[in-house]
Amino acid sequence: MPESLSHFFRSLVSLHNPLWLFYPLLAVIAVVYKATKFDRPKDIALSSIHFFVSVALGMLALGLAFYLVSILF
Amino acid sequence: MTDGTASHRSPVAALVLGWILPGAGHAYAGQRGKAVLFGVLITGLLVAGFAMGRGTNLLPNEWWFAPQLGAGGPAALLTPLSQYLAIRQPVDWASPVREIGTLYTAVAGLLNLLVMMDAYVLLAYPGEKRERDLVREAGGKTDDA
Repeated sequence: MPESLSHFFRSLVSLHNPLWLFYPLLAVIAVVYKATKFDRPKDIALSSIHFFVSVALGMLALGLAFYLVSILF
Repeated sequence: MTDGTASHRSPVAALVLGWILPGAGHAYAGQRGKAVLFGVLITGLLVAGFAMGRGTNLLPNEWWFAPQLGAGGPAALLTPLSQYLAIRQPVDWASPVREIGTLYTAVAGLLNLLVMMDAYVLLAYPGEKRERDLVREAGGKTDDA
């Protein structure tokens, strides 16, 4: 199990993994979405960072959960 | 970012302008800062996705074209070029980078729909927009982070 987890995280940080391309996409979604919600630049920036980190960590947790399911069953 | 003189302007015009050029609806509503932000980000996302697909992922015969159309003018300009490039060069349909590029273009279109609706709401309901900031200033909770 620890070896499988290590493989999961190593593949995530590999430079050849095209999943890196999702981060710029997520950043643009965060800024555009929050700019429609707030008017002040400071609010837009802070809420965009919060959105970006929440979604990135949430997707990582979801990916890890699916990975564990795939190796367990 | 608002100049406060937007009340006599047409919400429908903001919607249409926002479709023709991402961010133009906000420029019309008097929010020039947001107009530049939306224009750069949405057009940039569309062009980046187009480049990642080597110019072959804006094709009207793919279902992705429906969300891509949300990006309006820029998407309409790139579509004939994409059709031309898809004929002239081999397309690697299974390439993950091309697929993510296609996703970029589709998300650019969907984000532009959101931005268009925001420009519409700005002019149709002028008082509504600042309510969230007023609540925050008063130290109250909002329904969003």
